[in-house]
Order: sequence, then structure tokens, then C-alpha cells
Amino acid sequence: MPKLDIPNAKDDVLVRAAQKGKMEPYEELVHRHRDKIYARAFSMMRNEDEALDLSQEAWVKGWQRLKQFKHNASFTTWMTRICINLCLDYLRKKQRRQTDSLEQMEEETGGVERRMPIEEYNPTETVEREELREEIDVAMAKLSYEHRTVLILHEFERLEYKEIAKAMHCSIGTVMSRLFYARRRLANILISLKKERRS
Amino acid sequence: MRQEDRLNIQAWLDGEIAPQKAAQIAAQVETSSTAKVVAEELKAVESALKIGEKPVYLDETRDFYWGQIERQINAEEPMPAAEDYPTPVPEGSSSLLMRWLIPVGSLAAISALMINFGNVNLADPVQPIVEEVIPPASGLTQPVAIMEEENAEAGVGIFSFEGSQGSRNFHDPEDASALPESIENPER
Repeated sequence: MPKLDIPNAKDDVLVRAAQKGKMEPYEELVHRHRDKIYARAFSMMRNEDEALDLSQEAWVKGWQRLKQFKHNASFTTWMTRICINLCLDYLRKKQRRQTDSLEQMEEETGGVERRMPIEEYNPTETVEREELREEIDVAMAKLSYEHRTVLILHEFERLEYKEIAKAMHCSIGTVMSRLFYARRRLANILISLKKERRS
Repeated sequence: MRQEDRLNIQAWLDGEIAPQKAAQIAAQVETSSTAKVVAEELKAVESALKIGEKPVYLDETRDFYWGQIERQINAEEPMPAAEDYPTPVPEGSSSLLMRWLIPVGSLAAISALMINFGNVNLADPVQPIVEEVIPPASGLTQPVAIMEEENAEAGVGIFSFEGSQGSRNFHDPEDASALPESIENPER
């Protein structure tokens, strides 16, 4: 049997080799996709240390469950799901420890966003691509974890409402409501950032 | 405008509304200026997010990052060999049989107990009632779906999607075959 050319092998080949218990191909997979997995953990946690720990935990879980990976989706998609689940689980536990019931209540009702007037937001207006990306990042960081998560899962991970509901342990109605207020809040933050930039 | 209407407009834009209702919402957005403003606002945010996320990179070196993962992997239970995994029970065969056998078996056992109990009392009211222990029928287990649900609760909270493509329940955590259509088809 020819020796596996690890650095040049495709993901699929490496996964199959790792599924036989070989660790070197898995290490290569970690190296190839670690930034993506870490980035998703960071986008959800907004904390470098937590994101680092959770991304590493995701890779450990990935190894332990690798035999269950059936190659129907890409390996990175599968790993991202594991990472998201770990983040959600961690955030849930963290949230349980906190007693900010007012914030929780406002998540459902829209809080201050409900009472804010809708300002028209035009993303293309004289903002450079990188600048807008930076502003979105700042705005996402300002969102509550529920709003941020619902946006990440819907806009970046392309999950449907019922999938998000299942992941976030809530009803589809709550997902719709959170998504609506998350978008509105994001729009308002982007408008504020634009005003700051102008002044 | 009612909040329900706003959420319907959002669902319509997200492609999450039934086709028969979609036409109704499209007409509403066309005719109502308030509905149009809501739709425009939602579209603007979506358009902004299309630009994507700011790239984030790890500062750690390859060796340091992997070293920690490797240590954790080695510290925990080794990955079981393929043959150690239980053969999945095909849906529709024995699992379906189990779903019927358990309630039917339980009902039969309860009926037998009741008849026995009645006979005992009628025959001899002072005879002590011996608690009948019903041994589990060999090979009977909890239905697979229930077990998986419980495992999911006890696990790390990994969400995933059940069974074949098209079914989007969340049971077998990282079964890639169980990933939702939207994952397999990023275009959705």
C-alpha cells in the first residue's frame, strides 16, 4: 500500500486515514482548518481564551466521534457543527449561572429595539468593503449572545428556522422574534457607527 | 403594523413561508408602505451581512495548538475500533417491532397481573399478595429514538439532524448523513 502523502492529500483521504485510528492525518486536518474552527468559536464567544479552549475541545470531540462521520457533508462543516454545539452548550451553562433576567426577558420582547424608530440603513453607502466588515464585526460583538448566535446560524451557517430552534433549545417563534430584533439591533448599531465615523 | 406581520415579512424574505402565503405577503409588501419599509430594512441588513465575517486567525503555533489537543485526546478514552461500534438498528425493522412489543408486552403483563390479583382476592381474601416480578423479555430495550433523545440530553448538547436527507430532526449528533439540506446545499 503506498504511503500517504499527508501534506498533499485531500481532506477526504485524510479523514478516511484518521478514521482508521491514525493521528498524523488528523493533525494535518487540524492544521488546515484550525483557523476556521477557531474563528467560529471566537465569533460566538467573543473571547479569545474561551474560543481557543472550545476550538481545541471541538477537535478532541471530532477525533472521538470521527468514526460517525459519514462523508455526506464536508469535514469542515461537520467540525463547525461540533464547535457550534460546544459553544452553545458552554454559553447556556454560563447563562444559567447569571441572573440577568431583565436581559433575558428583553431578548424575547425585543427590549429597547422594539421602541426604537426604524432608521433607514444603507450598507452600500460609501463604505469600503473592509470597513463595512470591520463595522459588522464591532456591531456583532455588541449584540447579546442570543442575537449574535441566531444571526451567525442563519446568515453565516445558513441554517433554517427549525434547525436554529433545535440548536438553541427554543421555539421557532422565538427564533423568528430573536432574528428580527437581532437584525434591527444590528442595523441600529451600524447606523450609530456610521454617524461616529462621520463626526 | 402587527409584530406578527413583521415576522411574516421576515420569514417571506428568508424563504421560510409556505408558497400559498408567500403571494399574500408579497402583495402586502407591494401595497403597504409600512410593510415595504420593514422589508427594505431587513433586506439592507441581509445585504450588509453578505459581505461576510472578518477573518480571525489563531496566534498559537501549530505544535503548541496540536500538542494540547493531542494530550487531551490521549488523556481521554482512546477512539474505539470500528467493530466496537454497535450496528445501527435499521428503522422500520426491529426498532419498529420493539415499539409495538413494549406496549403490547406491558399490557399483557398488566392484564395477567390483574387477573391473578382478582383470583387471589376472590379465592382467599387473607392470602398474602405476592408482588409479581415481571422479568424483562430478552433483547427488549428502549426504543432507539428514546435512547438517542436521552443521550442527546446527557451529551455535550450537540445538535444535529436525524436520519436521511430531508428529515431535520436532531438525533444522531455528528452523523454527517444526518446534516440538514441547507448544510449540504449552501445555496439553500
